[in-house]
Amino acid sequence: MTVPRFATPNVRRATPRTLMLLLLTALVAVSLVSLLIGAGSVGPGRALALLSGAQDSEARFIVWELRAPRTLIGIVVGMALGVAGALLQAVARNPLAEPGLLGVSAGAAFAVALALVLGASAATLRISVAQLGALVGCVCVLSVARFRGVGNDPVRLVLAGAAFSGLLASLTSLILLYDQRAADEIRFWVIGSLAGRRLDDLLAVLPSMLVASVMVALIARPLAALALGERVASGLGHHPNLIRWLVIACVALLVGAATAIAGPIAFVGLVVPFVARAFAGPDIRRTLWFCLPIGPLIVLAADIISRVVVAPSELPLGVLTALCGAPVLIAVVRARRLPML
Amino acid sequence: MLVKTTSMAAILAKSGRLGMVGVLLSIFVAGTAQARTLETAFGDVDVEGTPERVVTLYEGALDAAVAAGVNPLGAVTTRGGDNVASYIEAHLGENPPAIMGVVREINIEAVLAQQPDLILAPAQLSDEQYQLLSRIAPTVVPPTQPLAPDNWKAEARLYGEALNRQAAIAEAIEAVEQRAAEVAKAVEEASVGGSAFLVRWMPGGPMVMSENLFSAGLLAQAGLDVQDAGLVGERGVHSDVLSLENLSQVDGDWLFLATLNEDGQAAVDAAKQSSAFTRLNVVQQEHVVPVDGQLWTSANGPLAAQAILDDIEAALLP
Amino acid sequence: MPFSPEDQFRADGNNNVPPPQGYWRFAWRSGNGANSLLFEQRAVVVNLGLFGALLLASVIYLSLGSVKVAPTAVLQALFGNADIMASFVVQELRLPRLAAAASTGAAFALAGILMQTLARNRLATPGIIGIDNGATAFAVASIVGLGVSIAPPAMALAGATTAAVLTFGLAAGNGTQGYRFIVAGIGVGAVFGAITQLMLARVAIDTANAAYPWTVGSLSARPSGALQLLMLGLVLGLATAMALARSLTLLRFKDATASGLGVNVKRRRLEVLLLSVALTGLAVAVAGPVGMVGLIGPEIARSLASSRSVPVLAATLAGALVMVLADLAGRTLLAPIEIPVGIVTAVVGGPWLLWILMRPQRSFT
Repeated sequence: MTVPRFATPNVRRATPRTLMLLLLTALVAVSLVSLLIGAGSVGPGRALALLSGAQDSEARFIVWELRAPRTLIGIVVGMALGVAGALLQAVARNPLAEPGLLGVSAGAAFAVALALVLGASAATLRISVAQLGALVGCVCVLSVARFRGVGNDPVRLVLAGAAFSGLLASLTSLILLYDQRAADEIRFWVIGSLAGRRLDDLLAVLPSMLVASVMVALIARPLAALALGERVASGLGHHPNLIRWLVIACVALLVGAATAIAGPIAFVGLVVPFVARAFAGPDIRRTLWFCLPIGPLIVLAADIISRVVVAPSELPLGVLTALCGAPVLIAVVRARRLPML
Repeated sequence: MLVKTTSMAAILAKSGRLGMVGVLLSIFVAGTAQARTLETAFGDVDVEGTPERVVTLYEGALDAAVAAGVNPLGAVTTRGGDNVASYIEAHLGENPPAIMGVVREINIEAVLAQQPDLILAPAQLSDEQYQLLSRIAPTVVPPTQPLAPDNWKAEARLYGEALNRQAAIAEAIEAVEQRAAEVAKAVEEASVGGSAFLVRWMPGGPMVMSENLFSAGLLAQAGLDVQDAGLVGERGVHSDVLSLENLSQVDGDWLFLATLNEDGQAAVDAAKQSSAFTRLNVVQQEHVVPVDGQLWTSANGPLAAQAILDDIEAALLP
Repeated sequence: MPFSPEDQFRADGNNNVPPPQGYWRFAWRSGNGANSLLFEQRAVVVNLGLFGALLLASVIYLSLGSVKVAPTAVLQALFGNADIMASFVVQELRLPRLAAAASTGAAFALAGILMQTLARNRLATPGIIGIDNGATAFAVASIVGLGVSIAPPAMALAGATTAAVLTFGLAAGNGTQGYRFIVAGIGVGAVFGAITQLMLARVAIDTANAAYPWTVGSLSARPSGALQLLMLGLVLGLATAMALARSLTLLRFKDATASGLGVNVKRRRLEVLLLSVALTGLAVAVAGPVGMVGLIGPEIARSLASSRSVPVLAATLAGALVMVLADLAGRTLLAPIEIPVGIVTAVVGGPWLLWILMRPQRSFT
């Protein structure tokens, strides 16, 4: 069993600690920008005045009631998607394993279409529906693809996900053929966005996020052992299959929660671990730590762009991440050889 | 340009084996020989006599036909249902139209099976579909026009002319105008008018509907000042989902909230979960009116106009 | 189907030697002396069987629908002496649609088996790698009127080409390895998918409805010009694929093995890829994205044929058969409402796909 090879560029010139500090500073800065900039009339100047103590009820409402929850949700969604991507890639030993490519979005959209047909309306849709759909989609693809670590074709998982997503999309279309009402509403749902999400939505998925966080903390060490090979892991007293299933459950919880709040957001789970590995090197535990600031950084940056490019309306975040993420996907496969994690 | 349409009727009449329909049709052709030439999206189309076997492939056409006193033999289903729209159903007689598929996938064979002598189609009909349908019977496709509140009148008149029931359609349109004028007068007397917005509520925020929409035109005729805050472009029917930060732009005297499910109040309640929504003046004055999105944002025609005016009256003049 | 063992037997120069087991020899004499061709018995039987099934399905297809036409009347209508109603239904409505169904099904399946062989992965079909999405995005753009006035079929073809060119461009450099092309295709497809969704979210529902056939795949009222182009392309493509049959068989093995057996792997791979993409583009321009057939057709062919060679012809016939049956079901099951063929193939192909995925892993074909 060879030690895994990595194709990602190794840029560890500074120590990890310094890098982490830099990333956290950047995250604070981006969060601040996220509070200052929006699609509305309250510009950075007015928002800054408010933050430094000015009395401005309109600005206070927009900054604290609209932008602050949105920023918080963006941070949580970014962390969840980033960590989920890193976990999935580690356990599948596949740098292409991206939750969004694995039937999660399609599962969520299908569940939403089903709910709309059964009488719900997009305006009143319960958040749990999407989460359930995302969960089912994710578990289906992962169990179907039977990823087994070393010796597996890295493309197999991606193909299984794409095929499964295609199937679910067709089923969604079948529903939409009959139900024009659902057809009209789902057009707006299938693209992920952070607009108009409330803290209540975040609270609704917080329990599953917490459970997932505890699980991540518990499986990080066994997962690192598994990266050295099944025998090493077994020798250290871990159970490889148990670890894999725990990771799947964890990923499904995280991605389901993120999708439930924000809708399908493609490629974040691909890009974040890709960048994090460049910073952190091969250690999965270190990569997971780096995903925590990098995920929110990327999601918030994309969200800020989505607010300003077509103001006074907003470009859906899901479109933006798809446009930015696809080049990274292609960059990964263009690497000299497809790295086997 | 005159499009030569070799209709089934003509084929039937020419063929040696005259079916019963062929006989019927040839009698018509002999009886009322004068042809009307209609300007359609696919050039001029000739229709002869008073068509009796009519198939409508568009809800607005069904609306106009029923308003003109014709009971079509076939129609497509409405949004979210397996039958025609409920507001039209009430006007239909004993024999509801057979279903010709859904508007997304028209069953051309089912149209043929009805052996129609006139087909009233939507403006979005594709070229390929037209080529086939026009060989079954004269197919009337209204020319596409930029969105304007009065489009429905031109469409209804075109369909009415094709049906040879120009007078009935003119009467129906006149009735709508009169009714709207009455509502406007009552609104003015009760002084409940003012500015109004028509929106659809989505999870991310509202979509503002164009002030050029059919229902927006009726609101205007009923004496309200309908606006879209300049958010809807020239060609658009509705804006993108508006940022909640800009919600104050739709804060007028009345807010018509179109929803596509049965319970409109549920959508209002969902919108009220957003603090950005509840702080609007129009919400605090309880001037938010949930309306049926299917009727308000996609229907078209004299009957739909009457139904919308019913809604306006109920909301503004309780 | 010609097959390599013939070389060995020709060397004997003796047609009296019995053919290898499972083969028929077709021998004749000409100026050069004795000639013979070997046909694999199973392939001949399978292809004839599929062809017969396709003929039978076609007759049923022509006679069933909202207007009933008896099978005898179908034959009369085909030869132009039936009553006017039956002739119109059969000749004007169903025959062009049957032709569209058979040729798109054949093209999708042929493109599918080519790409599967190339990538050595039974899930690698052109539908999955974004060519469909490109075609859909362009056709939808044409319908929602983004400043282009080209007809949707032409735009679909342009979209398929654009997606393919992009994918080729992005996957190029240090060899055209199959997986890199596929993953790049999935990425390109994801971008086009997002753009399609964005366009559909910004137009009125009536316009979205008009774009619907291009998002699921349908055979109702299809463009005749694109169909003629497809039929021409299919004939050429099938001939090319048959000519490449031997190298296709060898492409299934490791590159080193194939090279050792005299195949210019790199070049052959590029040719096969181009052929597959061209066929998909032409088919999508007619029917919209019905990618699932590219998976089902080859799968049927492989389960019927022996694994000695790549069943190119059988896959093509099976694809046509599946498409004809699927559209027949779509037209008749819920009449008068028609289900677009893309949805029927997905609903049927979906469980099949899951079954393939869930079976214990085994080597390709």
